[in-house]
Amino acid sequence: MDSFQVIENLRLSESTFKLRTERPNVPIRAGQCFSVGTKDLGINREYSMYSAAEDEFIDFLIREVADGIVTPALGRCKPGDLVEIGGPYGEFCLPVLAVAEDSFVFIASGTGIAPFHSFVKTFPSLNYTLYHGIRYEDERYEADDYEASRYVAAVSQPVSGRGERITAVLSRAELNPDSHYYLCGNRQMITDTVQILRDRGVPGGRIFMETFF
Amino acid sequence: MKVAISYPPIVNDQGQKAMVSQNRNVQFFQKPTYLLPVIHAQAATSLKESGHDVYWDDGNAQLKDYDKWLSDLVAWRPEVVVFESTTPVMKFYWKTSQELKALLPGTTIVMTGYHSMRRPEETLDESAVDVVLRSNNLDFVLLRLVNEMSKNPFWRLNSNIEGLTIRTSEMEYRSTGNFIQVEPLDKTPLIDRDLVRWKDYAFENGNFLNTPGTYASSVVRDCMFGKCTFCRYNGPDLTFSMMSVERSLDEYQDLIENHGVKEIFDDSGVWYRGREARQFAQGIIDRGLHKKGCYFGINTRFEYLDEETIKLMAKANFRFVLLGFEAADDETLMRLNKGYQMEHVEKCLTWMTKYGLHPHLTIMVGYYWQTREQLDLTVKTVKNLMYRGLARTLQVTICTPLDFTPYHLECIDQGLLLTDDYNDHDMSKLIVKSPLNHDEYYKAIREMYSITFNPRFIARQIMFLGKMRKRDWQFLFTYSIRAIRRVRQHIFNLTRNEGKQTEVNKHN
Repeated sequence: MDSFQVIENLRLSESTFKLRTERPNVPIRAGQCFSVGTKDLGINREYSMYSAAEDEFIDFLIREVADGIVTPALGRCKPGDLVEIGGPYGEFCLPVLAVAEDSFVFIASGTGIAPFHSFVKTFPSLNYTLYHGIRYEDERYEADDYEASRYVAAVSQPVSGRGERITAVLSRAELNPDSHYYLCGNRQMITDTVQILRDRGVPGGRIFMETFF
Repeated sequence: MKVAISYPPIVNDQGQKAMVSQNRNVQFFQKPTYLLPVIHAQAATSLKESGHDVYWDDGNAQLKDYDKWLSDLVAWRPEVVVFESTTPVMKFYWKTSQELKALLPGTTIVMTGYHSMRRPEETLDESAVDVVLRSNNLDFVLLRLVNEMSKNPFWRLNSNIEGLTIRTSEMEYRSTGNFIQVEPLDKTPLIDRDLVRWKDYAFENGNFLNTPGTYASSVVRDCMFGKCTFCRYNGPDLTFSMMSVERSLDEYQDLIENHGVKEIFDDSGVWYRGREARQFAQGIIDRGLHKKGCYFGINTRFEYLDEETIKLMAKANFRFVLLGFEAADDETLMRLNKGYQMEHVEKCLTWMTKYGLHPHLTIMVGYYWQTREQLDLTVKTVKNLMYRGLARTLQVTICTPLDFTPYHLECIDQGLLLTDDYNDHDMSKLIVKSPLNHDEYYKAIREMYSITFNPRFIARQIMFLGKMRKRDWQFLFTYSIRAIRRVRQHIFNLTRNEGKQTEVNKHN
């Protein structure tokens, strides 16, 4: 792991921030993650990259855990502070040959949208639909970065009106078994979503997951 | 159905037994350690709870020889036999399956384990195995498979349970697709300890300071990190799942209060961290289980547990902490995707030692790129950590490519393997081309194991007695005697090929 300067730390909602740092000088693929921690903390956590693979910086989308240690420390970082970054790691990436031809369905809960944001920014002509399960309206995190027709948010605890979980939205959505399905988020969402996909005839080989700890 | 979950005794030409169970890298030992294969035990429990007749058949832990094991199994007339295998014993299992099939032609043989999972057709080509189960979550898949077999006579042709490669005729196979397992671990049963004869595994385990000891139902399946290139828990075909803290606590309470267990180890690739780790430790304290004379042990990573969590774990009577210290140099750590640096190592071990935990380092040598400088740095760092009391025990192994991990595939792709005989992958010798003569790695192993006998190390252990912790006294006077025996065995096993550079052994 090496140290990198924080470029920007931007609050996107009450509990979530976007941390922008210098970019490690290594090849990076969209969908990969990094170990991130503050200097001298002694521990770190893994976060998926939120920015495009070729950006000159790296963005992380991080939800601050109230009784956590790493996320509050990262949340306090200011431009110029040093953070430790190791990686990239992981194979939660798009198959290069399929990017131009195939359709993709991305299903996220909360900050699990990070790798999908990275996909969309990296491959602008991607044929995708993004389902995003969030608790509150302000967790749409830079939704303008997606084509409106491709982004579907399910807000479970809206200020007004009835809330809806992402799994309910998926249950009535048209799901093409030939699409590639990428899931990222909390375990319960992933468990429920895989069941829905199985019931709809999506084969296991078309489902890829990155589960939050 | 009558289902046997079977571990045949495997003995090498030196009379040593192969330790296969619990996803281990197979090693042969004269005085074996018997590890309860947790996931297979959960599978057995799950089958029994669903009304199947289960025969827990660990020939190693039950101290049978091969003939006795085979005759007992045949006499029981199983309808299904389940094996667990890995690269260095694949050939043994292929042969055994043929022998078993000749004796029990109507029995369905199911092969589990990472090697066959990643090369199912090879196992079907080479053996009499009927089904290769392509998932580590075999408790879920095996139950589905056995249930289907019991009611569908055409299951070979039309079963759509994912994650299987099925023999449909002598040389024809059918894949049911990739297995995607995300069912919560809370849905798999806690192990039926009587069914799996837990006491067979309760004493002969070098990592237990107290006995009887046992393995808990792992709280994390596969690994939450899952990116280390040498590890089986790596790959897009795997995902991790986690058991709830309360459920795990319930099991610990049952083990302590109803089975009299005195040491519990959770062999999850990486145990809880953060909030769950603190909740678990606090739960142990709240239930009063920290005062029952039972120690707790886990696997973790250097950069996962903070000081407050470690302090709480120590209060909850955690003792043994197993940490993968694969190397001390940055290049190796980067190539292995390890994600820690020496600063993490120092901090983590300092905290653990401060609060009385006993860190155990697992070190590897013999990477195909490992230079003199890298090897020396690792040895020097390990000595430093051990002499300063920052780690209490260690284990050194030869990094052996197996089970088609990314490291194994790298070795294959780059033509670095000196052998294509799976039997040679038993970790007893280096089997990759390397920058140094193989003897240099064997010497390093000997040097690191010899730390245990160094006066500086022993003096440091005596100094720990001043803390007046019972575990430190036990460590010095009980565990050390056992450890010396095991260290000598490890040195013998891992250096017996000293002076014999592994020669090319390829058939193709």
